[in-house]
Amino acid sequence: MGKKFNKITRTFILVFSLIVASNANAQDRVVTGTVISSDDSSGLPGVNVLVKGTTNGAVTDFDGRYNITVANDNDVLVFSYIGFTTQEISVNGRSEVNATMAEDATNLEEVILVGYGSQLKREVTGAVQTLKADTFKDIPVSQITQKLQGQLTGVQINQTTGKPGEGMSVRIRGQFSISGGSSPLYVIDGFPITGDISTINPDEIQDISVLKDAASTSLYGSRAANGVVLITTKRGITGQTNVSLNVSTGLQEVPMRGRVKMMDAVQFAQFKKEYYEDQGDPVPPIFQNPSQYEGQTNDWYDALLQTAPVQTYNLTVTSNTEKLKTALVAGFFKQDGVVINSDYERYSLRMNMDYNISEKVKVGFNLAPSYIKDNTPRTDGSRGTGILFNALHTWPIMPIYDANGELTYSNTLPASTGNIFTYANWVRSAQQIVNETKDINLLSNAFIEYRPIKGLTLKSSINAEIYSSRFKFFSPSTATYRINRPIPATSESQRIDTNDFSWLNENIATYDRSFGEHNFQLLGGFTYQTFRRDQTIIGLDTFSDDRLPTIQGAANINRGGTNDFVQEWSLASFLSKLTYNYMGKYLLTASIRSDGSSRFGSENRWGTFPSVSVGWVVSDESFMDQYESISMAKIRASYGVTGNNNIGNYTQYALIDNTQNAAFGNDLVPGSAVNSLSNTNLGWETTKQFDIGLDLSLFNDRVSFVYDYYSKNTSNLLYAVQVPQESGFTEFSDNIGEIKFWGHEFGLNTVNTTGKLRWTTNANISFNRNEVLSLADGIDRVYGNWHITQVGQPFGQFYGHIADGVYLNQADLDSSPQVPGRSTVGSIKLVDVNGDGVITRGGDNDDRAIMGSPFPDFTYGITNTLTYGNFDFSVIGTGSQGNQLLVRHLFSTTNLDGVFNLLEDVQYRFRSVDNPGRGFYGTTVGGGNVTGIERDWVNSRFVADASYFNIRNITLGYTLGGVKNFFDSARIYASIQNVHIFTKYWGGPNPEISVQDNGQGDGGNLSSGVDISGYPVPRIFSIGVNLNF
Amino acid sequence: MKKITKIIILFGLLGLLITSCDNELTIFPEDSLSSDTFFKTDADFEQAVNAAYVPLRNIVNDRAWLLGEMHSDNTYYARNVLFGATEQQEDVADFAIPSDGGVTTNTHVTNQYILDYRIIARTNQILASLEVAEGLDAAAAANVKGQSLFLRAYAYFELVRYFGSVPLHLVPVTKREEAALPLSTAEEIYAQIISDALEAITLLPPKSQQDPGRVTVGAAQTLLANVYIVRQQWAEAESLLLTVVNSNEYMLMPEYADAFPGNTDNKNNAESVFEVQFKEGPEGLNSSFIYNFLPRPITAEEVATLTGTSNAQPVNGEGNNIPTPDIIAAYEAGDKRKNASIDSITLSGGFWKDGTYPIIKKFRDTHSLHGNHGMNWPVYRYSEVLLFLAEALNEQSKAGADTYLNLVRTRAGLLGATGDMREAILNERRVELAFENKRWFDLVRTGRATEVITAYGNRIKATPSDYYYPEGAAPRGNAFTNISLLYALPAAEADLSPNF
Repeated sequence: MGKKFNKITRTFILVFSLIVASNANAQDRVVTGTVISSDDSSGLPGVNVLVKGTTNGAVTDFDGRYNITVANDNDVLVFSYIGFTTQEISVNGRSEVNATMAEDATNLEEVILVGYGSQLKREVTGAVQTLKADTFKDIPVSQITQKLQGQLTGVQINQTTGKPGEGMSVRIRGQFSISGGSSPLYVIDGFPITGDISTINPDEIQDISVLKDAASTSLYGSRAANGVVLITTKRGITGQTNVSLNVSTGLQEVPMRGRVKMMDAVQFAQFKKEYYEDQGDPVPPIFQNPSQYEGQTNDWYDALLQTAPVQTYNLTVTSNTEKLKTALVAGFFKQDGVVINSDYERYSLRMNMDYNISEKVKVGFNLAPSYIKDNTPRTDGSRGTGILFNALHTWPIMPIYDANGELTYSNTLPASTGNIFTYANWVRSAQQIVNETKDINLLSNAFIEYRPIKGLTLKSSINAEIYSSRFKFFSPSTATYRINRPIPATSESQRIDTNDFSWLNENIATYDRSFGEHNFQLLGGFTYQTFRRDQTIIGLDTFSDDRLPTIQGAANINRGGTNDFVQEWSLASFLSKLTYNYMGKYLLTASIRSDGSSRFGSENRWGTFPSVSVGWVVSDESFMDQYESISMAKIRASYGVTGNNNIGNYTQYALIDNTQNAAFGNDLVPGSAVNSLSNTNLGWETTKQFDIGLDLSLFNDRVSFVYDYYSKNTSNLLYAVQVPQESGFTEFSDNIGEIKFWGHEFGLNTVNTTGKLRWTTNANISFNRNEVLSLADGIDRVYGNWHITQVGQPFGQFYGHIADGVYLNQADLDSSPQVPGRSTVGSIKLVDVNGDGVITRGGDNDDRAIMGSPFPDFTYGITNTLTYGNFDFSVIGTGSQGNQLLVRHLFSTTNLDGVFNLLEDVQYRFRSVDNPGRGFYGTTVGGGNVTGIERDWVNSRFVADASYFNIRNITLGYTLGGVKNFFDSARIYASIQNVHIFTKYWGGPNPEISVQDNGQGDGGNLSSGVDISGYPVPRIFSIGVNLNF
Repeated sequence: MKKITKIIILFGLLGLLITSCDNELTIFPEDSLSSDTFFKTDADFEQAVNAAYVPLRNIVNDRAWLLGEMHSDNTYYARNVLFGATEQQEDVADFAIPSDGGVTTNTHVTNQYILDYRIIARTNQILASLEVAEGLDAAAAANVKGQSLFLRAYAYFELVRYFGSVPLHLVPVTKREEAALPLSTAEEIYAQIISDALEAITLLPPKSQQDPGRVTVGAAQTLLANVYIVRQQWAEAESLLLTVVNSNEYMLMPEYADAFPGNTDNKNNAESVFEVQFKEGPEGLNSSFIYNFLPRPITAEEVATLTGTSNAQPVNGEGNNIPTPDIIAAYEAGDKRKNASIDSITLSGGFWKDGTYPIIKKFRDTHSLHGNHGMNWPVYRYSEVLLFLAEALNEQSKAGADTYLNLVRTRAGLLGATGDMREAILNERRVELAFENKRWFDLVRTGRATEVITAYGNRIKATPSDYYYPEGAAPRGNAFTNISLLYALPAAEADLSPNF
């Protein structure tokens, strides 16, 4: 790896040295000077110094000194620095020009990215939050979304699994739909990408704008309802050439806190002994003396974990001359997983180039290839299909290693011990199972911009995205990821080849014009995008030799698991936007987009998405002059309509399943049947959103505050409405129902101290609420896996029986409602919700009730940054309050039949009337007929408080000056990620977890907030160095 | 001027893009046909009718034996006390299906209902599409229509006997609002079954002219005769059955054991009137029902002695469809069918007594791979046609019942029947058609179900160890508490339908 990296580095240093060298021009004379801060008179490094009207520039060094060549005594120097007010100073023939710069916390003149353009921040009328790359540069993780955790107001970002490179769930303003996707639209350099945001190297990013309200997003029409994240990649900074190298390396480990506390070998043997005693059965010999297992616990879960390294290398070169602006980022990221044999590596490159052909014509090209390889050996998965889950369940008396110190193959005990399942050696399985993905991504943009007359800009762009992925799963005969597969198992393999291609053409005209104090901008355009995915899936099994997992090496091609798929969509759009302001004080924006999509039914092909927003910069009014402490105040309001077109590509069609083959005699004959119902009216999901917000800066911008209230209604939700199967079909895909979302968001930035010790705080808190207003006609509820979505309630609530301890004695049993034929003394007692005297499960009027909610009351983030001299220190904390998780693995980790290893707490179960335990777990006597209630009837004991506060990151850095002829400045830093989680959550290590029953991340909206024991999220200790040349 | 020209050209290009875009916005799936493009040709209809047979595989392989046989005094389950989550089957066998408010969550009941309606939806689609399709071959279309009508009638016949009143769907559902229909009375369902079967009889070819395995005019006549017998329309049944007998398309196989299809051979043999077709192999068309009938836990070696497979695997859980002492006792001395139908296996890990369990033999054949065999499931055999005919004659007090009954008895190595003819025919049906999912329906249609099952339940409760309960284990508290002649409708359907 090191070698490869060095080679890449050398190549690019060489290439860019050439570019840099070619920029050197003969100049007339040199001006030098020092730039200091008005706070503490110390030198300011990194200030951008530019000769006005040219692209000739320089940057101050570590002590704030700079030198620049000017052509003319009357040239004006422009000093700019992020967070400081820009200054212009005329040279006036001097050879030394010093500048003192004052802080400008709100940066009112800051230009931020909005949909299809940019805008002065003070004139923005929508709810937009912008982040610079600086704010997240030190966090040692692979995905940009991980870096954003806790930094964005109104955006809930959860890491649902610790699998390297995976598992981030991003929800803007609590938005979700029933079955359409909930992820925001990611737009990179103007291109709405179709691939995964996790593939982007975060170091390529210059800044991020998160568009939250409908006025900001509606220009993205039918894809905007989940919010839009605009990402700008690095561009050359005017007048500078910059080379920087960022290297970090770290170690990851799984904290002990939060691991599921399972029985050790002694406790387990004791449980089994008691199990037989309580039933009045003879105790099998191996359990008769539990103390014999003292010190002989096999901790299968821990055996799968390891301490693993993580490393990042990024080389960034930016350069800017009068004609040519370039940026190059070469990155390498490698993370070994904390579960053995899992890893992730990414090689990425980005080349951005803007070229001014003439004053009127500009062209630009971006090219960003990346290669990603990752492997995770089927760690996640419930019901015996994930190695981590299986390890928790394996009897701790079963040996990991045999007498010779070799890994065992599998463990089975005689049926007389109650051992029903064969347990493979999960360590061996994790080592041997290949579950590898190799991805190639290529993002590219090209544009031409033409300014035929003053104020008019015509821009045409072609953007393309290529994604090619090869997935290979192979489980040799000596391994399995499933419980109860005897070894040797049937070796099996799956291949998935995926090839995506998407292209987008955009043609946008913008016209800027001012009439006196009336300022207009008019934008109009046409865009067209298509996407195509070709996918081949091959299932293989029974390989003749485990060393040859080739297709030709397989005795059997699994017909049912071998398929070709094609997915296509196209989207044509017209868009238009008017921005108007009077004196920069009264602001108005109106926009409209019309989307035609192949996904929409033939009777409903075009959707229109308008929005309007207004703003009033109150602080510009003369009556506000008396309030000196208010430096800026703006009130804004917006209303608009957006859509969500994540409804599947072919959902509108009644498809023919041509695999319904029949046999006659010994012959196969092909069979075909209609397997879905068509809907020619199928359309997008509609979200109508109202937002009102306040931007306030106080005390000379030392305190800035943002507040937003939003209220939005999402209707026409795509839902495969279950239909009675008497129809021959299970569902009808329709646009149904309405959900109301509303919430308050507060963001606060304060500069607490200035001067040598500078302390800033950035805090945000968001309250998101939702309520289901209606579902389909005749349907007032939709069941999820262990959830209910019911009119008048919040979405996706945990639904099950309410546990009320156990039946303590015969009198208790006799006087309480029972499960007919099943309840006994000591078995779980459930609440008779419908009051009919018996406990039943099934149907709408049984004894289930809402048990809890996966939605938090509020989420929050707080970042404190301190700089003292050359030291900098930051702490990021994120939290969530009031949400619960469904600890789904309890159905097996507390299986009272003693089939699996058990939670330690099960030792405090009911054993007899005189020894009733803690009233939480019931009696083991009676077998599945009795214990099955507790296990299979999901009940409120499965629901756990998942509020948490996570000290997400602590970073300590030190900036040091340059070393002549080597580097200009350097910063070294140390950081800890996931420092500590404060939580009462007891179901597992990760209170952010939410997985589907199949073990895949982010449990889907109807069934979110479920913990089936997934890949743990590691704590990462890392150190890094950032060198600027 | 030049500038303006350029602008005009640019926007002209834009205009071109826009005009072409409506075509670009229609994308049919490339990896699947859709209803817009199917149901046009003879081949399309043949594929469609083939698919209408498919749900039968699942029905007979996975649950017909539960609902029709283990839900009677012929078979029971072999209790494995270490194994949970077996209530679904046990509730069926124990006549203890919870039916709250007239509906049940039992998965087997639910799936039976769903699968029958899947056949109905597919045949409705075919019948409706045939009405509008043009240029089809007349004979082929008639055959497809006849098969579709038979299958629809068969599915409704199952439904009406399991559930009584059910929704009557006769045209394809195209909108959500059409998905749920009100319950029709059993009388209305029967009227439709009779009408469909009568029409099928006019359309279907005889067995000698039909592809082996597809339904024939004889199958349709037998089905309709069965319907008439259930409805005690003896004369109508008699005339249909005589047509089948006189068609010369069928005969009894010389040996009872040879009446049952093998893994690859002896399928659709001379005695077969209709059997659900399976094919061994990786295509997913195989059956696996004999594995459902294994007592457990059973080792790989023990499985191999029964199946002869090269990759036998141990099977855990609870064994089902184990012949009861009652059925074993029902065979008369010297009945060759007893040994042809039942044998036994001794399990090293068995929980009951010495581990020796009776096991169904008559369907078993050796095959290559574990869990994958090709034996067909007999639905109607010619011997049942003869027994039906005997019954129809006897119920009308006509002569000749004993002739047809004794054809069946003679093959079994028995002498002519003695005693009460009605009893003799019913007991003959019990042993001749043992494990063919006839017993429960026979008990119901002859009005004996409650009495027979109550007595049977009392025997199990009195001597559980005779019924495969391990020592000390007892039947569940709810056993034999819900002896009902009909299954309750599925709760999952009730949740979605406004009609029940």
